[in-house]
Amino acid sequence: MAGGPDPRDWPAVLAAADGTTVDLHMWGGSTEINAFVDEVYGPALAELGVELNRVPVADTADAVNVVLGELEAGRTDPGSGVIDLIWLNGENFATMRQADALLASGWAEHLPNAAFVDWDDPAVAFDAGRPVAFTTSPWGSAQFQFVADTARTAPQELPRSYAELAEWIRANPGRFTYPAPPAFHGTRFLTQWFHELDGDPDAWVEAFDEDRYTEVAEELFALLEELAPALWRGGATYPNEIADLDRLFANGEVDLTFTQLPAGIGANIDAGVLPATARPFVFDTGTIGDHHYLAIPVNATDPAAAMVFADLVLDPVRQAIKLDPANGWGDGIAVSPDRLDTEQREAIDAVTAGLGDQAVPPAELEAVRTSNPGAELTVRLEADWDRRIRQGRTG
Amino acid sequence: MSALLSDQVRRWSRDDTVRTWARLAPALVLVGVLFGGAVWSASSRSLGVGAIGSPGPSLDAYRRLLGDPEFWPSVALTTHVAVTSTLLSVALGVGAALLLRRVHFGRRSLTTLFQFNLPIPHVIGAVAILLLLGQSGFISRLTAGLGWTAAPADFPALLYDPYAVGVIVQYVWKEVPFVGIVALAILRAAGDDLETAAATLGASAWQRFRFVTLPVLLPGVLSTAIIVFAFSFGTFEVPLLLGASYPAVLPVLAHQRYTDVDLANRPEAMALAVVVTLIVIVVVLVGAALARRAVRRAGA
Repeated sequence: MAGGPDPRDWPAVLAAADGTTVDLHMWGGSTEINAFVDEVYGPALAELGVELNRVPVADTADAVNVVLGELEAGRTDPGSGVIDLIWLNGENFATMRQADALLASGWAEHLPNAAFVDWDDPAVAFDAGRPVAFTTSPWGSAQFQFVADTARTAPQELPRSYAELAEWIRANPGRFTYPAPPAFHGTRFLTQWFHELDGDPDAWVEAFDEDRYTEVAEELFALLEELAPALWRGGATYPNEIADLDRLFANGEVDLTFTQLPAGIGANIDAGVLPATARPFVFDTGTIGDHHYLAIPVNATDPAAAMVFADLVLDPVRQAIKLDPANGWGDGIAVSPDRLDTEQREAIDAVTAGLGDQAVPPAELEAVRTSNPGAELTVRLEADWDRRIRQGRTG
Repeated sequence: MSALLSDQVRRWSRDDTVRTWARLAPALVLVGVLFGGAVWSASSRSLGVGAIGSPGPSLDAYRRLLGDPEFWPSVALTTHVAVTSTLLSVALGVGAALLLRRVHFGRRSLTTLFQFNLPIPHVIGAVAILLLLGQSGFISRLTAGLGWTAAPADFPALLYDPYAVGVIVQYVWKEVPFVGIVALAILRAAGDDLETAAATLGASAWQRFRFVTLPVLLPGVLSTAIIVFAFSFGTFEVPLLLGASYPAVLPVLAHQRYTDVDLANRPEAMALAVVVTLIVIVVVLVGAALARRAVRRAGA
């Protein structure tokens, strides 16, 4: 192993972690998720002699910037960093890889519970189009879904593709908007539209075809420019993030919002963020699914404790507990059902069976799931959206 | 004898100088390390020194910034927000102080009420403005409920608007009491004597304000105005919450660049921070010079 503890000798990792603290920096915007982490993982870690110090950050990019700042200041040696573990994926992962800021010993492959992870699945093995290469360990999964209020919009009126959405926007002016990219949900919304026009999401995971991009992007942005006057506020401004869109939706200013939770919006309804009559749905033409991961910075002080945490969350029973919205989160699983024994699989099936119509059935989600493209495509889409839609320039 | 005496005086004043500097040292060190260190670090990174993945020192970040079509609209918007907020805060704050001074019955409780929002953080204020002035906010629902507007969404767009009305309202709401208590303190310290004297000499109310009260107020209020300007020019959380997508104010632009996926944009974020710092420093220096002149005039 090129640096850091070697998880192939797990007892040694446990011994090294005993009596240390894992400094976990993670997005802290959800009270429910924070409580879940503290209450489910905290006591389990304590039994192994590891203390959990959860540091909430407003934006994962802030934690990334802490590590990059340390590296820029020359604090590159193991033991010189303040962060042991970061919850991240997508572009933040790409940034950390670009800066060589992640512990790249291949540790994630050899965690005991990594046996339950299907590393051959491209949705696990690639993040933002870059090979994960065992530099991060999966924690959970998510998939983009749309949300409508059944009290306002009848199911048969709902758009089932971006082509239908365009028609719907024209027919219902002022009733739709989306978070401004690079806000996560805004970029996803945009990327999926690109995918639908292009027709082949898999082509963009590892490759980037400049000519094809130019052609499809031109079609996409011309359409968005044409539709902008029919958006909320005439397209003059856009919500900053999903929380703003949720508020507009709950207040009846717009008729659609988005969610990423595979186990549905039950927790959001219970929290009063979404109305009780809100229901999630997907487009037949596909929505992007992806995983989120735990990463150890190259200069982490307690990498052994970080590995113990990353292993603990992959325990199949804890994955089932996390999937159940009744426990506060409703996050998708990161383990592959094919690799579980009957008892473990039943624990997960029992949760999905009880989700009701506040969640899209897992089989339906699976049927329309498309690949998360490489960072190059999303970065280009964000830049072009910024120029053509936000700033309104064509040059 | 006289030579001895002047020696003594010189020694005293030197001791005084040393003592003054010694007392100032903790504050100076703090400012030097925190502010100076931050400016130094931002400047060097804006030049690409010590930044991850940077090819070496260059002015590229500044060149890209000046060539960025959003830069000048952003400078204009930021200046508009800061100048308008400052002028409104000063006018309303000084006006309120002049009125409060004349109140005799219940002045103490009124003054307390006036300063009520001083300890409230800007972010909380911004969220309150959001809930109050948004198109699905309290007032829009009230007007719709009273039938003045057909639906809450017909309420005029005061947030996320191109003139940053919501942002300015938040700054003014927060800064009026700040300007007010400074003005009130100056007026109390100055007392009524000068104005009474001017009145007995036959000065009209306007003349008393123009030639007596205003010169007394001006140096302190100018300094306060500089603080308000520097603050509203350089903060990002309020425009982030209440501002439109485009153009964004300079600090929001810097934050966007800093958190961009592409590390190559970080020097630009630092360059923006340096530009904001330079503009504020220039305004502070000019304002301080004006305040000194006002002090001399008031003294003359």
